Amino acid sequence: MDGKFAKLSPFQLDPDKIPDTLSPADFESAAESEKASMVEKHKSVSYWRDAWRRFKANTVSMVALGIFILCLFFAFIGPSLIPYGYGAQYRSSQKLGPFEYSKGEELIRSITDDCDAFYATALQPGSKTAVSKGNYFIRYKGATYAFTLAKAVEKSVIMLAADAAEPLLLVKESDIKDGSVTQSTPIELSETAAEDAKELKLVRNVVPHVFGTDSAGRDIMARTMYGTRVSITIGLVAALIVLIIGSIYGAISGLAGGAVDFIMMRIVELIYSIPEVLIVLLLQVVLKDPLQAWFDSGTTAFARAMSDLGSGIVSIFITFALLYWVTMARIVRGQVLQLKKQEYVTAATALGASGGRIIRRHLLPNCVGQLVITTCLQIPSAIFLESFLSFLGLGVSAPMASLGSLCSDALETISLYPYRLVFPGVILTVVVLTLNLIGDGLRDALDPRLKK
Amino acid sequence: MNESNTLLEIRDLKVSFFTPAGEVKAVNGISYTLGYNEVMGIVGESGSGKSVEAYSIIGLLQSPGKVTGGSIRFEGEDVLGFNDEQMRRFRGDRVSMIFQNPMTCLNPVYTIGNQLVEALMCHDKGYTKEQARARAIEMLELVGINNAEKRIDQYPHEFSGGMRQRAMIAMALICEPKLLIADEPTTALDVTIQAQILELMKDLQKKKNTSIIFITHNLGVVAEICDRVSVMYAGHIVEQGPVNEIFYNPQHPYTKGLLASTPRLDEEGRERLVPIEGTPIDLLNPPQGCNFGPRCKSCMKICLRQKPPFAQVEDGHISACWLHFKAPSGKGDAT
Amino acid sequence: MAGYIIKRIAVAFLTLLLIMCITFLLMNAVPGSPFLTEKSTPEMIARANAKYGLDKPLYIQLWNYIKNYLRGDLGTSLKMQEGTNVSDIIFHQGKFTLSLKLGLYALLLAVIIGIPLGCIAAYNRGSWIDGFLRVLTTIGVAVPTFVLATLLLVTFAVKLQWLPTLSSSLTSFKSYVMPVISLSFYYTCYVAKLTRTSMLDAINQDYIRTARAKGVKTHALILKHALRNSLIPVITYLGPVMAGIITGSFVVESTFSIPGLGKYFVQSVLNRDYPVIMATTVVLSALVIIMNLVVDIAYKIVDPRITLTEKED
Repeated sequence: MDGKFAKLSPFQLDPDKIPDTLSPADFESAAESEKASMVEKHKSVSYWRDAWRRFKANTVSMVALGIFILCLFFAFIGPSLIPYGYGAQYRSSQKLGPFEYSKGEELIRSITDDCDAFYATALQPGSKTAVSKGNYFIRYKGATYAFTLAKAVEKSVIMLAADAAEPLLLVKESDIKDGSVTQSTPIELSETAAEDAKELKLVRNVVPHVFGTDSAGRDIMARTMYGTRVSITIGLVAALIVLIIGSIYGAISGLAGGAVDFIMMRIVELIYSIPEVLIVLLLQVVLKDPLQAWFDSGTTAFARAMSDLGSGIVSIFITFALLYWVTMARIVRGQVLQLKKQEYVTAATALGASGGRIIRRHLLPNCVGQLVITTCLQIPSAIFLESFLSFLGLGVSAPMASLGSLCSDALETISLYPYRLVFPGVILTVVVLTLNLIGDGLRDALDPRLKK
Repeated sequence: MNESNTLLEIRDLKVSFFTPAGEVKAVNGISYTLGYNEVMGIVGESGSGKSVEAYSIIGLLQSPGKVTGGSIRFEGEDVLGFNDEQMRRFRGDRVSMIFQNPMTCLNPVYTIGNQLVEALMCHDKGYTKEQARARAIEMLELVGINNAEKRIDQYPHEFSGGMRQRAMIAMALICEPKLLIADEPTTALDVTIQAQILELMKDLQKKKNTSIIFITHNLGVVAEICDRVSVMYAGHIVEQGPVNEIFYNPQHPYTKGLLASTPRLDEEGRERLVPIEGTPIDLLNPPQGCNFGPRCKSCMKICLRQKPPFAQVEDGHISACWLHFKAPSGKGDAT
Repeated sequence: MAGYIIKRIAVAFLTLLLIMCITFLLMNAVPGSPFLTEKSTPEMIARANAKYGLDKPLYIQLWNYIKNYLRGDLGTSLKMQEGTNVSDIIFHQGKFTLSLKLGLYALLLAVIIGIPLGCIAAYNRGSWIDGFLRVLTTIGVAVPTFVLATLLLVTFAVKLQWLPTLSSSLTSFKSYVMPVISLSFYYTCYVAKLTRTSMLDAINQDYIRTARAKGVKTHALILKHALRNSLIPVITYLGPVMAGIITGSFVVESTFSIPGLGKYFVQSVLNRDYPVIMATTVVLSALVIIMNLVVDIAYKIVDPRITLTEKED
């Protein structure tokens, strides 16, 4: 035995024979600290940090999250980056293809390229009367130039002298012919802007209609951005409504148990067996007029806010509040029942913890994963339902837009302009897809038990 | 034990799990032999690698688990060298296995009879359907299920836990295997049922001359049924010997600790149960020295540096601990 | 079993009754009258109301509906085809059969394509086949039916002209292709995803380990032990699928100009044709409820643990 322990046959070593490589010091007792240093302690991480770590490790979900954030930028920040409004109808820019300019815009572009001119773009929302009555001002190189527009304009170029840095002329789109300016309007200038004057945004370049325009001359990209915003908002609010109603109902049912639970669950079953879409369609039609009447008579801030949303969207919310919470209620009740049986809840009860404390400290933290997952997956299904209703002509109404209504609008001219369907359709798909993938990732991250 | 009497021989078996966090060496070089008609107990706490070791014998190791070294020979044949089809024929026919939780181990959507007959039929033993059914009924009667004629057509959910484990045993033994691996077969059962199942296994072992590898963390069960015991800790066998030796002359500090932490009815005057302090080591980063060192009360400096070799305590009783070795100059003997 | 089915049918009738009441209340919650047009005078409206019994108190109107429905009389249309018997429109003009056929083909496609796809993905877990199917099904459940239907229509009917543009009568095999595919695509993908998940779940169960331990062949492991267990969640999902297919048929029927029940329902809602709304709601609801009943019975056949007489917790 030449001191090579690893190769020794297990049955042969003589306890009295010790290889020379070992010294007596090796056989002294080891100190506690030495022992402790041999054990690597795992850092304990909080539930959320651990979940976030797992989510980060999930490439697909992270990419989906990134794309979804891009969609949010597109929907919420995008509109302020382009000079077109979702409702504005640019009469000379009808039926343009992607990345096209109208004739006038083409000319304005050449003027702004040639001389020191700016394209004024704040003449929104395009109504002529509003423009002719209004006072406008622009800021240029620190100074304010206020002026009145003598005549209605849709688009205009403000020509600036190259050195004086003062606005000199206003060229209307109608005054541009064959690539040259036929007539320009002098601007009456004053140094201070009137009280309710509108500021004109000065843009150096004319922005193309990236997604083209529709038959009414509305910029499809602006509408798509707006529609994405509406769709995502509807999804979020509907999911929130479902979350609140569903979890309260489910928690009450699960915690109460007994006869209360029985009756509450029979109600859920009944709602469950109703083919909800039939009722949804009916509700959409039924709620339209009463809601409109309420908006018109309503003076409270709430009524006005609702009125801004329009009856279509509000009735979608009402529908969700009435019919779609049942799945959430079932899930929450199931979780509560399961958790009620867990030993630690029994232990907490035995230790005299109050009902509220048990809910706060034990039930809620354990339910929260499921709640987050279900809510996240509820968003795309709400977006789907809204787009379905809008597609049938029942959801949001013009000039408002949602991704579904944009698809629906595109249908009439589908064989000529298929891209009008493709843009909102692809964005709708991407939003739903990324939300689904994020939901899946959350499920894996928040509920590791399910992953196996 | 002479060669011709050896049913199963395991040499330096190593099994690792390749997880995203790194390689977990669940079994790190274990060796033992098992004779015909012998019952070997493998004892250890959760995560000690006892089930993993058993799964690699029967080829049930699933990704990310992989045998990384060593050999398993069954009646002289190299089990690790079997291809998929050979392995399938080997399983159930020559080696079979029963598991911990009889509530989930039977397929809920097929009748007990269907599953028993399937175990027989997938080894092409030339049974007709009627013969196979008759054999299944015979096996159910053998494991003490009354009214087997009727119960054979029932579904698992109509059986109680104990009854299901009996059916599992019947299923495992229907092809008359040479070796039965029992992975904590009584853990999930009530104490009275446990005793019945153990009694049944002892009885069947005598009748059928089947060798058994009995995996458990329950020392009481080991004493009941086994001839020999291997104690496992963190992927290693730390002590092995005849059952009486292990119980009345334990040598390894871990075995001692295990016995001290188990309630026993035969020692009236014992003061109290002594738990083993600390937690098992992290198998992702196993220590350089003895795996039990960090928890060991008599840990020495050498224990933290070098893995201990086996020492023979009695005939057939070995233990891997530096305490069995004397310091070179004779001083510092820490026993 | 028989007792259970009788009980379920009784509950189904109650549900239908409830749906009738809800529909009736919703219809009548709208102010105004279905006869209100720009030209109509109050006298004309009153006359029309009297003719169709809309001047009677609401509870009597509701009672009349229920009474007539029990006799199998679905009333007459107020608008689109004024005076025509609604059951004639629904059943004899082929609307119902058209929608039913479309729905059943879509359901069939979802099942016979979706389940095998899910099995293939689960069996080849981690391989490129699994990866491809996962991408396909994940995108599949994110594409709205109307987008798919329109794109199919533009691509294959308008541009390539392989398939007819108008599937109006669904007479030939070709005319079925696009409506059925667009109607079933979402559900095919969903069923495939669901099958894959539950298959993988089943493969990790203890009883599969037992079966492996006794030497069962690999294909028997998948086809016998795992498949039947993994079908249970898939079957539970088929009830909602049927409801969803009916929903989808509204879109598909209007995209492909199929004169089916779905399109008719949407029109009648927009037109406030009360008897038609009521009749289509009841017929479609009945379809969904019957489907749910069938699913529950199929569930019992696949899973012996479910006893139909007692409810699981």
